[in-house]
Amino acid sequence: MRIVVAEDLYLLRDGLVRLLEAYGHRVVAATADGPATLAALIEHRPDVAVVDVRMPPTFSDEGLQAALTARQTVPGLPVLVLSQHVEQLYARELLADGNGGVGYLLKDSVFEADQFMEAVERVAAGGTALDPAVVAKILGGPGGSPLGSLTEREREVISLMAEGLSNAAIARRLFLSEGAIGKYTTSIFAKFEIQADDDSNRRVLAVLAFLGATG
Amino acid sequence: MRAVSSLRLVVSGFVRSVTLVVLTWFVPALLLVAVVFCFRVADDVVLAWWWVFWLVALILLIFARLVSRATRILVARWTGTEVAPAYRPVVPLTRLTTGYWWNGYGYQRRRWQAAYQRWLRTRVRDPAAWRDMLWIVVAPLSVGIAAALPLALIAFGALAALRLGVVSTPFLAVLSIVVGVALLPAGWRLVEPVAVRLLGPSLVELLSTRVATLVVARGDLTQAQDAELHRIERDLHDGAQARLVAIGLSVGAAERLIDSDPEEAKSLLRQTREASSLALRELRELVRGIVPPVLSERGLVEAVRALALDSPVPTRVGSDLAGRLELPIEAALYFATAELVTNAAKHSGADAVDIRIAPTATGVAVVVADDGRGGADEAAGSGLPGVRDRLAAFDGTLLVESPAGGPTRITLEVPCASS
Repeated sequence: MRIVVAEDLYLLRDGLVRLLEAYGHRVVAATADGPATLAALIEHRPDVAVVDVRMPPTFSDEGLQAALTARQTVPGLPVLVLSQHVEQLYARELLADGNGGVGYLLKDSVFEADQFMEAVERVAAGGTALDPAVVAKILGGPGGSPLGSLTEREREVISLMAEGLSNAAIARRLFLSEGAIGKYTTSIFAKFEIQADDDSNRRVLAVLAFLGATG
Repeated sequence: MRAVSSLRLVVSGFVRSVTLVVLTWFVPALLLVAVVFCFRVADDVVLAWWWVFWLVALILLIFARLVSRATRILVARWTGTEVAPAYRPVVPLTRLTTGYWWNGYGYQRRRWQAAYQRWLRTRVRDPAAWRDMLWIVVAPLSVGIAAALPLALIAFGALAALRLGVVSTPFLAVLSIVVGVALLPAGWRLVEPVAVRLLGPSLVELLSTRVATLVVARGDLTQAQDAELHRIERDLHDGAQARLVAIGLSVGAAERLIDSDPEEAKSLLRQTREASSLALRELRELVRGIVPPVLSERGLVEAVRALALDSPVPTRVGSDLAGRLELPIEAALYFATAELVTNAAKHSGADAVDIRIAPTATGVAVVVADDGRGGADEAAGSGLPGVRDRLAAFDGTLLVESPAGGPTRITLEVPCASS
């Protein structure tokens, strides 16, 4: 895959580039500030971009803004956002356009190289990858509908779905059969009133509804 | 209707003008009488001046405070402006074990002596009492004359009308009365600004009160900062620092083992990775406690929105605030709001919380309202005193309206400039 990396700390940027290249991907641009990132995203239209939230020149949320702006120009441009902290607020902003291809992970997630690369690939394929910390925050929020109408098991399934796991992976995590997970997801789609479409899009919509359930 | 109300204005203006003329000129008239009396009775000029001095002092001591008290009451009744007296507090007479009486100024053997000394000192030593005496001098020449002018015009017109042709024309008499009556509702009003200026707290008194509150606030702030620094230092020392040492040690051990026992080295490295994850998590918590990242990235309003999203009770956030505030103020307001939202979720049993952030004339106000059971008590172990202290450091205020049965409405306000 062709990848753009945006990270202002040299060590981390270098580490990310090495990691991605070690897994056989090509890093087409590595940027260190907001404007350069936006330019690189629009120019290269990478298969996926790995973007740090806080970057120069203002050290606020430059990277996030660059990613959001780029996705307005190039709808569905897959972006995996990395941060030292996770906020539901930012997750919503990233997912709001409903196009999928969004990841939002804590920086520590790069420690688990295999899982991290899976997340990168999932996002590149148009799926989602939300950090378990975000998912926990959503579950801790007010239990209004439609989240309140889910059973305990369905809540577990939707949480893992939001993290971006496939049915097979969820089944492994919960020690259930893949068929059982399929039933739960169908039930979740029904409760969230999501129409049958292609599966990955439905999953994104379900995650969106999951987020929306809090507000 | 209009005629009645203007008639009422004229009548009340007349009564008030007469009252003020009497009130302001009474003491000067008394002084004048006293002076004339002294010079009549005493047969020697030096002795006469001596008498004048004592009589004037006595009259001022007795009447200055009475007159200013009466003026305060009248101003409050007529204009609604409360002119707060700024006398020094009166120390109650207390009998000490020695049998002497203490009155705040000195010890006296007898109670009446102590009471007399206190009476005298509070009238001689207190700057507010000096200002009362200043009022005796200034008021007749300002308030007294302004109030007397319409009365004088009316009196002059009436006299002129009675003795037409002698002093004046009918036109002048009528004009004088008309102008006098027209001025009746206005003339007495000078008393308000002059009383506020002279009888209210002086600039010095206002400033010294202000300085006293600031000293207290600075003391609190210093203590809070001290506690905060210690907490951060301890957290870093026991947390991240200790973990980094441990990480360094096990990486070193893994390095030694990597050839002889690769399996053991791998397991050590795995532990190291977990330790670094843990260190990161602790640092993240620590940073969040100093300045939440979303606050420094996005400012107060968005940070409160993020807070609302994480709250277990449905929370709405509305804001008219544009631009950023200074970070310390944003942080103070953020943490105070977070405390209130937590309180609402924990104790109020509310179904909804509503947060409004709005600019005020002097700064920013955050209103946190919930539809819960109310009865929030600052004394009963709530975090409210802490919130108040945090805000006091920025000259901010906390207003709690929480009747039993609800709803609760808490307003935080901090003066500041937004950018």
